Amino acid sequence: MPGAAEKIRKRSRLSYQTMQKIHGIVFVLPWLIGFGLFFVTPLASTIKYAFHEVGVAETGGMALRYVGLDNFTNLFNVEVSSQSQPFLRVFSDENVNIFINTPVIVVFSLFCAILVNVKFKGQGLARVVFFLPIVLGLKVVVDLIMVSTGGDVADAAVDSTIDNEMIFDFLREYTFLPRDITMFISDLATNIFLLLSQTGVQTLIFLAGLQSINPSLYEVAKIEGANSYEIFWKITLPLVGNISLFALIYTFVDMFLKSPISTEIYYFAFNKNNIGAGSALSVVYLVNVLADLLLLMLIMNRVVKLSHAAK
Amino acid sequence: MLQSETRTKNPVQAYRLKKAIRGIVIGYFFYSLVIGLGFAILYPLIKLIPFVFNNLEDLGNPDVIWVPIELSVDSFRAAMRLVFGNGLPLLQSVAYGAAIALIQIFMSAIAGYSLGRIGFWGRNAVMGLVILSFVVPPQSLLISQYLSFKNFDVLGIASALGGGPIDLINQPYTLYAIALLGFGVKQSMFVFIFRQFFKGMPAELEEAAYIDGCGFYRTFFKIGLPNALPAIMTVGILAFVWNYGDTYYTGYFHPDGPYLSIKLATTFAPANVNNILYAVRTWYDVPGATTFAFDAVKQAAALIFLLPLLILYFFAQRRIVENLEQSGIVG
Repeated sequence: MPGAAEKIRKRSRLSYQTMQKIHGIVFVLPWLIGFGLFFVTPLASTIKYAFHEVGVAETGGMALRYVGLDNFTNLFNVEVSSQSQPFLRVFSDENVNIFINTPVIVVFSLFCAILVNVKFKGQGLARVVFFLPIVLGLKVVVDLIMVSTGGDVADAAVDSTIDNEMIFDFLREYTFLPRDITMFISDLATNIFLLLSQTGVQTLIFLAGLQSINPSLYEVAKIEGANSYEIFWKITLPLVGNISLFALIYTFVDMFLKSPISTEIYYFAFNKNNIGAGSALSVVYLVNVLADLLLLMLIMNRVVKLSHAAK
Repeated sequence: MLQSETRTKNPVQAYRLKKAIRGIVIGYFFYSLVIGLGFAILYPLIKLIPFVFNNLEDLGNPDVIWVPIELSVDSFRAAMRLVFGNGLPLLQSVAYGAAIALIQIFMSAIAGYSLGRIGFWGRNAVMGLVILSFVVPPQSLLISQYLSFKNFDVLGIASALGGGPIDLINQPYTLYAIALLGFGVKQSMFVFIFRQFFKGMPAELEEAAYIDGCGFYRTFFKIGLPNALPAIMTVGILAFVWNYGDTYYTGYFHPDGPYLSIKLATTFAPANVNNILYAVRTWYDVPGATTFAFDAVKQAAALIFLLPLLILYFFAQRRIVENLEQSGIVG
């Protein structure tokens, strides 16, 4: 008899662990609902619209007509962007731009983080300044501050570019670098303000990573006679490896967020009333982002493997 | 005797000298790097200062670049008149940013707590979904999100209750609803940060609370949340800054709302240059104002817009940076 009572009690009262799990699910539930509402549903219907011609039905709802891949072929063969450029061009420009700028931004922010991680007089002030891009890098602020509509009269003073001819000439005269690389370096110098304005969060991420490195590792290295150069390559860099993947992905996603393609999507759907082509554009854009990320992961994997092999 | 003493002294002195010189040289390079980079970050702001305080007619004059001949605050007055009015929009925007930031902190914290602490079924799968939603840009879902908001009717619930689908576009509560369900500005990243933080937090305090008879929710509110202050600070600052400056969610889902970021973007759109110039010319009696005057007004507006952010940032940055390593950014 007591055995049966025990059984009933066990059945009616769930164990502590089960209760924990249920509470855990309750806590993620809002996010999961949001995921369904704001992610899965829109994703599914975007893909659906991309293969349909979307019009207004007589009853007032949406009329879908299956057109296969027409939206995609039209997008690349017929349609042009709001700046009258073919989309293949828009996408290739965007990708090249992002693949060049992402590593530069990440390296710059790692550099900034290493600088402000050193103890020196005025460190607090330097940190205030180096994290300012978190605020200054907002898209609306960049648009308002960095882009000027004035003429060329006082460009040198007003524009946020610097005179790069000197750098260019210097590199051409005194180094044996090919022309393209020289151009690239001087372009970087020209855009340095724009690049630096994108580094705030990444600097924060890297500083967090640097601070989490156990200081005794540095001590050991110093006692063993390593110089700062060796310490950087053998301790600092491998230990911020994981966090730099996070920083890379963050930069990457952020660059795509700020890319002009998003305005094109809106332009297609609501100014041109071509929801099908707009959705096709969205799908291409999405596939592009994911493919680029995959490529990035592969490269990073390769780099990490190589650096392990070198040890 | 004397001879040997100088001999032993000399190398020591030489070593000291060498060390001092090395310190000075390295210090010189180090400080020039820090100051140079800091200058490059601040330069866009620095170059604004003379520009916005300049007399509107002198703008574009190549003789007047860094030092204004006549100081004037006309560009600020014009910016106030065009965008900020009596300052109420500024307050509204700050309140909006703070409210959404609070919602985002709370919702991300509970999701992150659950993902970092509780081993429920399918936890890793949910974590994968969080990362996926972080990686996919919301813009690629814009059209169908917009359309589904326009006729919001999940599983026909709204229609069943009578009244048909609801139009959620341009409703003030839409943005709050998005944040509440975890899809506000970069909210997946906040969930990720909280998850990392709670994963690394020692479990003893919570265990003690459980043993003392606290339930799950009480433990979270009394132990979990108060101890997560570093993560809350980091997420709070980022959430406030991004929501205050957001033009995506506010612009597409509530375009008529009182958000400064959109107001700035639309007021100073390139199509408006001539209207604003005309207004500035007549208001302040500067018939000779060129497009530079437009830039000056625009940038004065940007400075006013940045003010709350800069104030918050200067107060909070010390707190963030102090305990950055436990803020949850690192795994």
